[in-house]
Amino acid sequence: MRIRDVVIGANASMYYKLNFRKIKGVYYPRNTQEVIGAVKHAQSDGFTVTPKGGGSGLSGACTGGNDERVMISSLQMKEILTVSKDQGYVDVQPGISIDKINEFLNPMGMRFYVAPSSRDIATAAGVLSTDGGGNDTWVNGTMRDNTIRVKMVLYDGRLLTIDAKGVKSNDPDLEARLNEIGVTLHDVASSHGTLGFITEMRLLIRPVVEETLIGGLAEFSECNALGKVLTDMIERTSPVRYGEAITTAHKDVREGFDPPLLILEFPEENEVDIRDITDYKPLDSKELARMKDIRIKLPKRNPNEGVQFALFEGYGFHGDSLLNLQDSLNEVEALLNDHGMKPFGKYGHGPSKWYLGDNTPTYGLILHSREIRPEGKTGEELLDTVLAIVDKCEELGVTPKPEHKWPFSDAVKKKRLDDIRQVIGEGFNPFLLSPECNDVLGSMV
Amino acid sequence: MSYEKCVRCGSCLQFCPMFDATGEEQYSPRGKAYLLQVMDQIEDDEELGKEFRRLLFQCSMCGRCEETCSSGVDLLKVWHEQRAKAVETAPEEFEYLEPLKDALANVKNIYGLAEEDRAIYWLDELEDEIPGLADRVYEKGKTAENIIFVGCLMSFRSSQIDVLRSLFKTLEKLNIDYLVMGAEENCCGHPLYLMGDEKGTLKLREHNKKVIEAAGAKQVITCCPGCLIQLREHHEFENVEALHHTQFFDRLLEDPPKYHQTEEFSYHDPCELHRILDIKTEPRSLINKMGIEFREMDLSCCGGGGLLRMTDPNLSDLIIQLRAAREKVKETTVITACPSCREQLLGQDLETKDIVELLSSSLEGGTE
Ligand SMILES: Cc1cc2nc3c(=O)[nH]c(=O)nc-3n(C[C@H](O)[C@H](O)[C@H](O)COP(=O)(O)OP(=O)(O)OC[C@H]3O[C@@H](n4cnc5c(N)ncnc54)[C@H](O)[C@@H]3O)c2cc1C
Ligand code: SF4
Ligand code: SF4
Repeated sequence: MRIRDVVIGANASMYYKLNFRKIKGVYYPRNTQEVIGAVKHAQSDGFTVTPKGGGSGLSGACTGGNDERVMISSLQMKEILTVSKDQGYVDVQPGISIDKINEFLNPMGMRFYVAPSSRDIATAAGVLSTDGGGNDTWVNGTMRDNTIRVKMVLYDGRLLTIDAKGVKSNDPDLEARLNEIGVTLHDVASSHGTLGFITEMRLLIRPVVEETLIGGLAEFSECNALGKVLTDMIERTSPVRYGEAITTAHKDVREGFDPPLLILEFPEENEVDIRDITDYKPLDSKELARMKDIRIKLPKRNPNEGVQFALFEGYGFHGDSLLNLQDSLNEVEALLNDHGMKPFGKYGHGPSKWYLGDNTPTYGLILHSREIRPEGKTGEELLDTVLAIVDKCEELGVTPKPEHKWPFSDAVKKKRLDDIRQVIGEGFNPFLLSPECNDVLGSMV
Repeated sequence: MSYEKCVRCGSCLQFCPMFDATGEEQYSPRGKAYLLQVMDQIEDDEELGKEFRRLLFQCSMCGRCEETCSSGVDLLKVWHEQRAKAVETAPEEFEYLEPLKDALANVKNIYGLAEEDRAIYWLDELEDEIPGLADRVYEKGKTAENIIFVGCLMSFRSSQIDVLRSLFKTLEKLNIDYLVMGAEENCCGHPLYLMGDEKGTLKLREHNKKVIEAAGAKQVITCCPGCLIQLREHHEFENVEALHHTQFFDRLLEDPPKYHQTEEFSYHDPCELHRILDIKTEPRSLINKMGIEFREMDLSCCGGGGLLRMTDPNLSDLIIQLRAAREKVKETTVITACPSCREQLLGQDLETKDIVELLSSSLEGGTE
């Protein structure tokens, strides 16, 4: 065992205590050929393969579980390959971060409109594999809405190109079989590295929109009122360009603000429409920047005592669960409390959009959650809490982990991935779909 | 332990020059913080321990990670503590640092050269050009408002002589009341500090403090940010202010003569100066006052800090080579204000000038 085999386990989820001896190789390829080489090594020795991007995912999917496996990092595949301003796309390698893409596009007056809070480190392929989004997903869609096509290396070294219509492959038989079962980009979105290694992506880019935006801060006495405002915004397709709710935040990091609150940015000309939905205090650009900064740092800052951790990254409140947000939250808080969890903060994108396992778009509030890391709880106990949360979500009509999906409980998505893997092979990240997944994750907490 | 606060978000990865140069996660701040978090799982493995200890010294202590981190991980402190622990745990792995430690213990400079020679090399070179310079060298009983702390690098390396020449010429031209510590100067202790050897630094600091106070100085001025870290943060002066030379001259000169600019300049801001000492405005203000046009380089590391030149010279070279290529500075003269950065730049045949060289030639009436 070498130190690089250990360090590849570094990731933002609470699943980070890996059995390092099971890692049989770590690769940092620079191009497709080197990816194929790494996959061949795994295949010939019977190891599974786990792709890793920035390691900022919060579901533990980039750990590879406890299989004897080869880890392939995309962090050295970070080039911009081509860009077409006229046709509105940029071709990139999978390991480039979202920020770097926009740093490149900025001088051209173009933009890639997906903005997770982790955009400084989250990679293009990582974000597609979790179908991530950000504070503007409401307007611009999730990662799948902004991806035109991907190229992928499969476990047996064959290559696929997948877009919204279907699949192309250098193997006509494989191509036909996958098209027969209707494989499209929807399947790659949120597949958590279970299909193959993405080596190249064509992403949708658009001109930077020149519009005058203004900021506002809406404050609420409780969250049902916030839920109602978000529901109205969704019903009226309000032109909110940036919408971030904070429902609770630890006193050490909320800088004097008193949630629940909703930070908004919208076009000046829609001031009346927004006022019609909610009262708000106007924010000048400096105040707005400060609020955004407070918000973006919430998943990173720690209380004066203790350390925050992501027990269960997010909740997708929609429909009735959004309209009764406070009631839904009370139930979640009670459950967390019963399991000995101290809340740190709940905040997130709203109004927003995400896809369900059957690819239906859904609109609501994606509320991220952080707790204070409890002392003395076993991994098993923590995972039990996670599973209880998943059940609670089902009961409340809340999507568990809307940005990352919870492949471990999303039966429709799981079945679909299984079906595709019957055709392309099952060598990539199999632990996620195996019955032992929960136990494996529990052992890594 | 503050590394426990690391949420492993990864934000620091892209800023770390070691990760940038190697592309592998073990060199990154997150990687090392993670190793500390899972240490209970790996500490029995001797080889891993050895690799980890080596990694701790494959870091230029540039502080970019700490600056980026929003989770309150005092990364520089962690690296210091872990370096100390590493040397204590496995001294045999750090034998290559012993000659440096011995030199500092015996002759109080990093080169192992005779203590009394500290003011010989540059004095020989500059005495004719700067009349009266020899009288500026401190001896018992002499006092002055300002005392110059030259530092080991500038005391002994010929590559630094142009900077010293400009420094002294400028001080003379501005009629500054100053002395140079000369043979009475000990190393500031920074190299030992970077090894985590707090104890070793105490004697050196004690001596310097005594001399500076005996000279009645109100200000101790140095061109070296590493020395300044020690002088300002660790010498515990009561009535002496430790200043970087750019701070001293910027305070003094409201409107220096304009520099006669014929070359293209870029500015490399030394990490220890701007990130660790938080001296950001004065160097730029001074350059601007001279009417010099320049472009800012990335606020990144040259690869010359943290003892990296000793612990992994290849990595240190790679860092500056990558930057030079990426930031296209070959055609420019790189302005900087740190003797270590200067060595790194010269090592790649890059043109470089310390800010005081520009100031000196402005005061003389244009470029040399
Ligand atoms: C501080 C913080 C804030 C966050 N904010 C948001 C947010 O606002 N919105 C949001 O959606 N998420 C957010 N996240 C979660 C995280 O950033 C996303 O899940 C992100 O998409 C993960 O990208 P990554 O590159 O880090 O992928 P990783 O975590 O490395 O991997 C995620 C998954 O992608 C797979 N994968 C990675 N690369 C490839 C590849 N080349 N081919 C195939 N599969 C691959 C992995 O196997 C794994 O299953 C946040 C996380 C943190 C730590
Ligand atoms: S930025 Fe801070 S919290 Fe994030 S990985 Fe680096 S050290 Fe850890
Ligand atoms: S101090 Fe600099 S070189 Fe060292 S880990 Fe931090 S960013 Fe990297």
